[in-house]
Amino acid sequence: MSVWAQIWTIARLELFRVFFSKRSFWVYGLALFPVVIFTGHAIDSKFRQQRWGEGSRITPVMMDSFREGATGEEILEKAGTPQRDRKWTRRQRRDEDDEGPDRRRFMTFFDGKRQAQLNFSDGKLTSVRISPLLNFEEDRKIFAGVFQYFYLRLGIFFGCLGIFINLFRGEMLDCSLHYWFLAPVKREVLLMGKYLAGLIAAASIFTAGAALCFGALLFPHESGEVAAYLNSVGYEHLAWYALAAALGCVGYGSVFLAAGLLLRNPIVPAVVLLLWEASNSFLPDILQKLSVLHYLQSVCPVPAPMNSNAPALLRMLLSPAAPSSVWVAIAGLLGVTALVLFAASQAVRRLEINYGTE
Amino acid sequence: MSATEIVFNDVSKFYGEVLGVNRVDLRIPPGITSLVGPNGSGKTTLMNLMAGLVHANNGTLRVRGISPRNPGELMKILGYATQYDAAPRGSTGFDFVLAGLLLHGYSKPDAEKRAWAALERVSLTQAGNRKVAAYSKGMRQRVRLAQAIAHDPLVLILDEPLNGLDPLVRAETIALFREYAAGGRHVILSSHVLQEVDVFSDQVILIANGMIVAEGQIRNVREEMTEHPSQYLLQCRDAARVASLLFGETHVVEAKIDADGKTLLVMTKNRDAFSASLQQIALSGEEIESVLAADENVDALYEYLIGGRK
Repeated sequence: MSVWAQIWTIARLELFRVFFSKRSFWVYGLALFPVVIFTGHAIDSKFRQQRWGEGSRITPVMMDSFREGATGEEILEKAGTPQRDRKWTRRQRRDEDDEGPDRRRFMTFFDGKRQAQLNFSDGKLTSVRISPLLNFEEDRKIFAGVFQYFYLRLGIFFGCLGIFINLFRGEMLDCSLHYWFLAPVKREVLLMGKYLAGLIAAASIFTAGAALCFGALLFPHESGEVAAYLNSVGYEHLAWYALAAALGCVGYGSVFLAAGLLLRNPIVPAVVLLLWEASNSFLPDILQKLSVLHYLQSVCPVPAPMNSNAPALLRMLLSPAAPSSVWVAIAGLLGVTALVLFAASQAVRRLEINYGTE
Repeated sequence: MSATEIVFNDVSKFYGEVLGVNRVDLRIPPGITSLVGPNGSGKTTLMNLMAGLVHANNGTLRVRGISPRNPGELMKILGYATQYDAAPRGSTGFDFVLAGLLLHGYSKPDAEKRAWAALERVSLTQAGNRKVAAYSKGMRQRVRLAQAIAHDPLVLILDEPLNGLDPLVRAETIALFREYAAGGRHVILSSHVLQEVDVFSDQVILIANGMIVAEGQIRNVREEMTEHPSQYLLQCRDAARVASLLFGETHVVEAKIDADGKTLLVMTKNRDAFSASLQQIALSGEEIESVLAADENVDALYEYLIGGRK
């Protein structure tokens, strides 16, 4: 039996357990959480589109013609019945010089794609806010942010922790690791077989999660807009996101597999690695190369947005490290993974069955 | 290094500061070998060392010429039914045995055939498709045995293999060990039920506090223990008369007459001289119905060698 056949046999036997392990079932929740959010947003957008579409519409030219200072009656005469028209009175004015109550009015108009919110004070239009019902560009940026800040930094990180730590440590706790050690395979081969099983499971779960999220992002948008995006860069982006998710599992998986062999408490490596990855952008160039996140950020097709109003510390922690070229990033990540797996193979050769101390 | 023996050469194993086994020198020939010792004496450590589940801190160990640090080669010839009661979650008895065989490189049809054959040998065919989690203790014991023998290993190591088995299955299992050992293979087992290993073992290794106390065929071990008198149980018509005759012999240390007046327990320092004396007494006309060595079982060896610390 060749080494590859042995690795595949081990992975095949291990796969079911990895996919359906009670101990790491929460990983599915982690992978699908953004899908739920994006799907919720998509469904809400569709409903709003439908609800607003049922009401009166104005032309886009009309929507752009609203100017401050116009009266409510002028607007109604020009644009017709609004989707919403609410009036209310503010008893106490902000400006003490003015006398009497402040009569307010709020109208909304819809042109099929955009919504205009008109605010009136004492009968005069004081502000016009036009916002698109759906903003494809903005949604794509939000997806990039969710992918990099949630999936890469948290979802895949902790998902791999849950899956790969349990490959050996979980079996120690279940007192079943000796069955593998009694197989006529080298320990290194066993390690690779288990790693492959974990990788298949983690990569499937998280690439599927990211792909579903991507699908939910596209769902409420107009089919023409979506088709144009997909045919230009959309499929390419999807492929890069999937590759980044899979590479995340490759990198973090190897680290947590090794951690499961070397340490009993998974909290310790998780905290240390999380801090290491978060502080990566402050580190010298050479140390940045020892971070999984450093390479993953370079593979992502769209830079993650950063809110300028976010606290300085948060911005500092989330700021990306100096990027590498995509192929250098992939090669670098695979190199780091190979190093970690080599260290893990040394550890697994020394590993002894001693359930009593677990 | 012998390719037919299991050889321990000055092997020590420590778990941190706790002693597992200390400076073990052993040569285990093919046949049934029983490891006997109190809890925590190091039996399982010895077995785990042979199977490579733990590694020696000092010394060398070869199992039929193969180092336990080479599982790729060792596990082709070794089957180990451990004491650990766990099985992979959700697996049936058949799956459990089959998984081991697939890892041995058998094709699926061949592995399935062997798995059913192994289950049949331990009388578990009917329960083969049931989940291991639903098995009784005895059935789990048997399914582990089935997995250990499924690939027909040359060395079969069994940790407490008779625990939880009913008398019929126990007899079948012992017959299986004998059949295995008869083919020039190693069957190494541990047990707390001392009488049962006494019956079918070719040799016994007595271990206490991580050290080998004695090894060999029980009778041989007993004969080497010259500092302890041998005990014989005699059934005779007039025990008092036989006792008085035996007291005249210098090799007889003690004689106790049972309340029934027909049973006599004699302790002697010289077994050969005792046999000669008995012959003379019998020739003188005293009726001796039976003579039984009372201390050749493992319990007695314990008493002598370990001081009763079972």
